[in-house]
Amino acid sequence: METKQLNETKSFSLPLGPIHVALEEPMYFKLDLEGEKVKHVDVTSGHVHRGMELIATKRNFFQNVVLTERVCSLCSNSHPLTYCLAVENLAGIEVTRRAQALRILAEEIKRVASHLFNVAILAHIIGYKSLFMHVMEVREIMQDVKETIYGNRMNIGANCIGGVKYSINNELLDFAEKSINRTEGHIKEIIDIYATDKMLLKRTTNVGSISAEDVIKFGLVGPVARGSNVAIDTRRDAPYLLYNELDFDVITETGCDVHARAMVRLRETIESIKIIKQLIHNIPEEGELAVLLPHIPAGEAMARSEAPRGELFYYVHTDGTDMPLRLKWRVPSYNNWDALSVMMKDCEVADVSLIVNSIDPCVSCTER
Amino acid sequence: MFKFLKVLVRNILQGPATEAFPLKPAPTPDRFRGRVTINPDLCVGCGICRHVCTAGAINITPSDDKKGYHYTVWYNSCCLCSSCRYYCPTNAISIVNDWHTSHVQGDKFKMAEHHYIPYVACEGCGAPIRVLPAHIAAKIYVNSPIDVSKIIRLCPSCRQIATAERQGELHESKPE
Repeated sequence: METKQLNETKSFSLPLGPIHVALEEPMYFKLDLEGEKVKHVDVTSGHVHRGMELIATKRNFFQNVVLTERVCSLCSNSHPLTYCLAVENLAGIEVTRRAQALRILAEEIKRVASHLFNVAILAHIIGYKSLFMHVMEVREIMQDVKETIYGNRMNIGANCIGGVKYSINNELLDFAEKSINRTEGHIKEIIDIYATDKMLLKRTTNVGSISAEDVIKFGLVGPVARGSNVAIDTRRDAPYLLYNELDFDVITETGCDVHARAMVRLRETIESIKIIKQLIHNIPEEGELAVLLPHIPAGEAMARSEAPRGELFYYVHTDGTDMPLRLKWRVPSYNNWDALSVMMKDCEVADVSLIVNSIDPCVSCTER
Repeated sequence: MFKFLKVLVRNILQGPATEAFPLKPAPTPDRFRGRVTINPDLCVGCGICRHVCTAGAINITPSDDKKGYHYTVWYNSCCLCSSCRYYCPTNAISIVNDWHTSHVQGDKFKMAEHHYIPYVACEGCGAPIRVLPAHIAAKIYVNSPIDVSKIIRLCPSCRQIATAERQGELHESKPE
């Protein structure tokens, strides 16, 4: 009797989350299913809201550099960098070329580690644990670089208002160069595996598709947009720091699916390594690393940068005291997760976490 | 699949990638931010470290007899951002790579760097001051003929007078 009733029930709703959907970050999905097919998705968020924008108005400008670094661990260099760029725009501070080069170095090392982490999680979700372990081990080389140069694996604390907090010497640069050469070899091998492995292809191609029109309609950013052949990259479109002097390509893929987005991330790590290699031998020797304790005048300013997940935007408004009146940031995941409803339309339940991971959601950034 | 099997075999032959800690010491880079330490001789009590500390881990309180101040950094509050070290004008703060701060619950209130930093009397007027660290004085009076060792034990106003007098003497003794 009971089995018969279950068979007759074809459509039902399934709660997924808030814990362990893709990453170990809370996000709640209410899926309306018909059999195994997802018909409608409701995303509920706010589980890790920490009130950071309010906290930022209770801290002075120097404390906020550290606070914004703790918004999220994976883009923990992009946040303080963009915040510092906004404050520097407001105060009219010129950052020396040496400090700008060191900022890019930190940013690109973080980008390699962040992208490798995301593609590793993709292997983890489809149950390819040995590949997951291998990619994480390759990422570990970059973690060691961060630990050796900056003193911490995630919160590297590279930026301060007016420049950078760290200096670098030839010994460390040699170590960084050796490490990125090792990583590059491994990544090329990983790209080959991700591009050709039949099991991986079967699970990721034509899953979570989003067309280029929808990408533009939803205003998607970062590797999600580039995976659908929309070539946007803040580093090239609105250059900041020394990016306009560096040679790198904006990677695009035409697959529009989970696999294309993973390939964009993997190929972007090679571009980041290219940038790091150009910088390592060309870091200007001269120049102050930072401006010590500058005064921040009244006014408002904004800045944007390309975080590993896409365009990151900061707005700061002050009245001339040492605390901001308002600090507002918009993170790339905020744009991207709105498109989940399109990507998940008519997908299988088993693919939901895969699709969520493919936008590389940073829940703690978005909810802050 | 075969491409990955090749990687897999190589990784197996390489042996474990993890550190054997706690059976063996974990390799730690020199720059690793593990724990804050203070050099009480160099601290002048300016409080910039407290101003930039996001975590509120730094406490500077005058002692009851006003003859010095207590300087405390709580390890458990400290987020090791290194802002204090960066902005400290006298380099009194450093971050060592010793990260072994695990402790039993009973010891949690001992997990702090604490120093009583006494004032000394100004050699001019006797006001309580902290001695100006010699390397900072050397920086301030870098192109000056003034002997810094004589003025670092003076309070700012006495130092101002002493410097002016010395400069006056130098000016007078200069041959026309």
